[in-house]
Amino acid sequence: MHPSRGVVRRTVRPAVPLLALALALSACGSDGGGGGGSAADGRIEGRISFQTWNLRAGYKDYFESLAKEFEKRHPDVTVKWLDQPAEHYADKLGADAAAGTLPDVVNVSPDLSYPLAKAGVLLNLDKEPVAAKFRDEYTAEAWRGNTLPGLDGAYAFPWYLTTGPLFYNKSLFRASGLDPEKPPRTYDELFTAAAEMSRRSGGRTATLAGTPAIEDFGRYGVRLMNDDATRFTYNESKGVELLTRYKRLHDDGGLDPQALTSTPEQAGRKFLEQKVAMNPGGANDLANFRKNAPSLYRNLGITDAPNNTGKPNMYVMGLAVNKNSNHKAAAIAFAHFVTDRRNQEAFAHRVAVFPSTKGSLDDPYWTKDDGTDEGRVRVASAKALKGAVNYTPVVMSDEMKTILRNEVAKALQGKKSPKEALDDAVEQSDRLLRRK
Amino acid sequence: MARRDVARRDVARGDIARRRDIARGDLARRGVRLHHPVTPWLLLLPGLAVLAAFSLFPFLTTVRDAFTDARTLVPGHWVGLRNFRDMLRDEQFWVALRNSALYVVLVVPFTVLLPLLLALLVHKRLPGMGFFRAAFYTPVVASVVAVALIWSWMLDDRGLVNGILKALGAGPVSFLGDSWLLLFSAMALTVWKGLGYYMVIYLAALANVPRELHEAAAVDGAGPLRRFASVTVPAVRSTMVLVGALSSVSACKVFSEVFLLAGPTGGPAGEDTTLVMLVQRTGTGLDGRVGYASALSLVVFVIALLLMLLVLRAGRGGNAADREGHR
Repeated sequence: MHPSRGVVRRTVRPAVPLLALALALSACGSDGGGGGGSAADGRIEGRISFQTWNLRAGYKDYFESLAKEFEKRHPDVTVKWLDQPAEHYADKLGADAAAGTLPDVVNVSPDLSYPLAKAGVLLNLDKEPVAAKFRDEYTAEAWRGNTLPGLDGAYAFPWYLTTGPLFYNKSLFRASGLDPEKPPRTYDELFTAAAEMSRRSGGRTATLAGTPAIEDFGRYGVRLMNDDATRFTYNESKGVELLTRYKRLHDDGGLDPQALTSTPEQAGRKFLEQKVAMNPGGANDLANFRKNAPSLYRNLGITDAPNNTGKPNMYVMGLAVNKNSNHKAAAIAFAHFVTDRRNQEAFAHRVAVFPSTKGSLDDPYWTKDDGTDEGRVRVASAKALKGAVNYTPVVMSDEMKTILRNEVAKALQGKKSPKEALDDAVEQSDRLLRRK
Repeated sequence: MARRDVARRDVARGDIARRRDIARGDLARRGVRLHHPVTPWLLLLPGLAVLAAFSLFPFLTTVRDAFTDARTLVPGHWVGLRNFRDMLRDEQFWVALRNSALYVVLVVPFTVLLPLLLALLVHKRLPGMGFFRAAFYTPVVASVVAVALIWSWMLDDRGLVNGILKALGAGPVSFLGDSWLLLFSAMALTVWKGLGYYMVIYLAALANVPRELHEAAAVDGAGPLRRFASVTVPAVRSTMVLVGALSSVSACKVFSEVFLLAGPTGGPAGEDTTLVMLVQRTGTGLDGRVGYASALSLVVFVIALLLMLLVLRAGRGGNAADREGHR
């Protein structure tokens, strides 16, 4: 039976507002970015938003005074400081970018700026004369660190740099008959020491709590990608060699039993609990050791991460400018202000990070050991930064990192040969790369 | 009925009718017609709007995206069934499907039976029983993150459980290092955390079981086991079906417990990944494959729907058989 016209009308009429609502909502999802915002060389004015990444808890005063100082210099500008927690930061950026609500100035690392720049929401600083004129204020490595492959330019002002020493437990070294004053410096020494420690402790003491990540392949001297960053190459013979050695280390008990699933935080906790002998970290960790593990702190050794290339690993942070900002001139001025030499140095004095502006690391604060543990770590890390490189390829997404980790785990468990595991990881990652 | 009573009733009816007319008149004067066909829709509109915005719209978007190559920052193009074809070739998908299926098969029977036994223990009115009811319910209200953290400490190589095993002379067991043990540990956590919730549902059902049936069965010489099988189980069968349907859908969608115990990689070599973890891993982040993750979500939805229908159908079959038996 066909419904009467009245029934249809009664059914359809109420649906009209729902349809209107659905259409309105679908419109919300579309890119509201507009056509590129204001001119970069216009007047420095307007209300701009500045988003950082997990910094409010420790450095609220610093950023508030920074914003106030900028507003004082540029009375027509108001800075709204936003801070997001570290968890799901990338998701938050993605949601903002998709909704066209990305803040005017955003704290990013190169692997985060790559997809944003590729989607056309970040300003190419090299192509924007107002921004490009500041290029020489930063070290060449730092500026290069924010230059993205295939996108022809740098997409963030270099901000702070970090590199970490390797902490080791002298007491566990001593108990295993190893010289606590001679920690391993190369991968050869590391594997030898780990095998010895495991043998002497009857398999009770592991040396490391984590499996090799892409940075380890880089430090080992493995070529990670081809020159135009279109194909991964870490499955070449050198990569297979590293994984084979890690497999032996795992079989000998040199890796913690939970290393295959440990996050960096969990690995850090294992070191704090003195269950593993070595763990990478930063100067920030010292206060944690002193407070939460005094007996570890008394036996704490600090050395450089093992390296076969002579070039340590460096993590780069930057401040990107939203290409669709309505106040681009103010956003560029503020991003430069936060990352200029004076402010970078002031920030690095407060936090255990390093400035990326030219000449900053020649300051005695980063060259003269003041006798404290923090000073020792600071000077050693600052020294290591010269010539350091960011080994993490910017095109390597989190999913690709997980693929590598899982294939490494399969090799360590003996389910695949190291060669097969790395070939599979490269094949899967290349497929994802091609689909980008 | 006395004439006076009839007269009183008529007056009362007249009063009600008069008051209704007055109310209608007031509303009509204000331009409101209670029996207008649009009125129910107007009343439903706020709820429907919320439903459309937060359930229907995302669902339809997910269905649409499942057939595109959308990424987090790229809307994507129509690719037809490519995502589903990719899924069939994706090794991780089969691992995740296996784990989710295992979760359903192994967790659901426990979440149907154990809470019923627990409810039988605590439904008696004895002094101090309130404490046990509250204690069994505590894991339900506890944060899953806190619970998983406590379990991960207990199951650690040097945790409480291994400490006890060591004291008993057994070697340390790598609960969190072995993929199978890790999955079973997550299942145990899921069952433990859900016990109190389903126990409360069963308590409500048990309160409606007529005491006379138990007494009659006892008079006929039925022991506790026989009374459980012949009186309690048939009486709470529909609740068991409900619990089965709810827990099978939850087991199919499991995420937090496995994610928190196994870590973001999904256990060693990703072997503990479940379907929802795979959706999360592939669909999030700046480079998230939204199209592929949507296709996976659609598969999870269809599996959950089929499971629920299957359980409900099995329950209906059981009830029909019961009816036949009674006849």
